Amino acid sequence: MNEQLFAYRCLQCGELHHPQHFVCRKCGARQFEKVLLEGEGTLVTWTRVYNLPEGYMKPFLCFGIVNFPNGLNVSGQLEVDQPEIGTKLQTTVGVVKEGIGQDYFGFIFKAK
Amino acid sequence: MRREVGIVGVGHPRFGKSSVSFTDMCCYAAVDALDDAGIKTGEGHGVDQLFLASMGAQMLNRQSGIASALVDTLNLRPAMAESVENGPASGASAIKLGYMAIASGMCDVVLVIGGEMMRVVSGWEGTDFVATMLHPIAEYPYGLTLPAFAGMFTRLIMEKYGVLESDLARVAVKNHENAMYNPAAHIQLVPKLEVITEDEDKDIINPYVAEPLRLYDVCPVSDGAAAIVLCAMEVADRFAKKPIRIAGIGQATDTHAVAEREVATDLLAVRLAAQQAYKMANLAPQDMDVAELHDAFQILEIVESEEVGFFPRGEGHLAVRRGETKIGGKIPINTSGGLKAKGHPLGATGVSQVIEIVLQLRGEATGRQVEGARAGLAVNFGGFGNNVVATILTKEVE
Ligand SMILES: [Zn+2]
Repeated sequence: MNEQLFAYRCLQCGELHHPQHFVCRKCGARQFEKVLLEGEGTLVTWTRVYNLPEGYMKPFLCFGIVNFPNGLNVSGQLEVDQPEIGTKLQTTVGVVKEGIGQDYFGFIFKAK
Repeated sequence: MRREVGIVGVGHPRFGKSSVSFTDMCCYAAVDALDDAGIKTGEGHGVDQLFLASMGAQMLNRQSGIASALVDTLNLRPAMAESVENGPASGASAIKLGYMAIASGMCDVVLVIGGEMMRVVSGWEGTDFVATMLHPIAEYPYGLTLPAFAGMFTRLIMEKYGVLESDLARVAVKNHENAMYNPAAHIQLVPKLEVITEDEDKDIINPYVAEPLRLYDVCPVSDGAAAIVLCAMEVADRFAKKPIRIAGIGQATDTHAVAEREVATDLLAVRLAAQQAYKMANLAPQDMDVAELHDAFQILEIVESEEVGFFPRGEGHLAVRRGETKIGGKIPINTSGGLKAKGHPLGATGVSQVIEIVLQLRGEATGRQVEGARAGLAVNFGGFGNNVVATILTKEVE
């Protein structure tokens, strides 16, 4: 399955949002168009977490905040051995949580 | 016209692991607060309203309508009653609502109880429960948690301002030392700074939780309840204790998704809430003699101490190194032991912080008293900083 993730561009002022907002954070308008979020991003910060919540059968997971060239910052999982602030990462979309009858898709950033 | 509001009773049983039910735990705190105020239970108690602050009793204890249950078992009927949920800032929110109820003239006396029973569930269930306040699409499904965001925030602050792991440990050791004098604190032992920062086995003694955060940089999981009695200043002479005045309250919100913050190293809602509280109280940061700051993660105490105006941005950790936040220092922070050592039963925390300021202003903080304290600030931090309540208390001039 080819899952995709989007930013939401305000039709009135062009402001980008992720996640989706009901009202534009800049101009107050309420109509948006989807813009594909893909390609390369820059790692802003990261962590490796050892105490995961219920539902993640792993000893640890890495997370990061990634900055896209369009200016948006998003959170996601990292599949990078030695993350470093400022590194360029490749955006992928994959299963971030396995659910019963429903998997959750999200950003998984990988080393280039 | 707005009426003045004071605090005339406090109740703070020890935080830790509760051996009684959620409602009983809340009642023990409530009767301590009523006793402190000199309010006799039963007929003529005079309590007009009860607020119960809890983030998760519905999820953790599978109980709802708890404020109504408490008002009955405490025999305060037919007083008004509501439950308040505002994440880990529920406690200060409930005090704010109590303030509003009295200031408006609708009530004369309000009982505020904060409580959380978190140790009834496993660690990973508890971590999951707390994470439900994160964004339901952009954060929660990823397995992101509050410690994960605190770890990412800590790394940014370290990069930008040169904060070291040992600075976080210094904050933790200070708070544990303060908690030794607080009989209500969950943890009553002091880790040695060298052991948690330099020992060759430090990765076992003080392992990473969410890099670069280690175990001692994070608060424990606690059960607990705390309660206060608020009253209109014009009826304060009915009570056994002299009132401590609520001089200012501020509250501010920020983006739900943490990645959307304008400046990733700022805690904007803390700054705005504090500014609002100072303005209402007509006081400034330098007028504060003592403060309780929300140190669920030790980095937060450092950055909050800057955002509330005690120190310039990027210099909070330098003040910690100089000992300025210890008792006897320029501005003692978390004399109660903070969330780090006193414990952090979510809904109880905001009430507990205000109680510590009340005890300091009364001169009842035995062993940890800040001499001559006349004004204090409490900051209660919800989400990862997306809803923050600041409260300023002052001692009445004799
Ligand atoms: Zn717009």
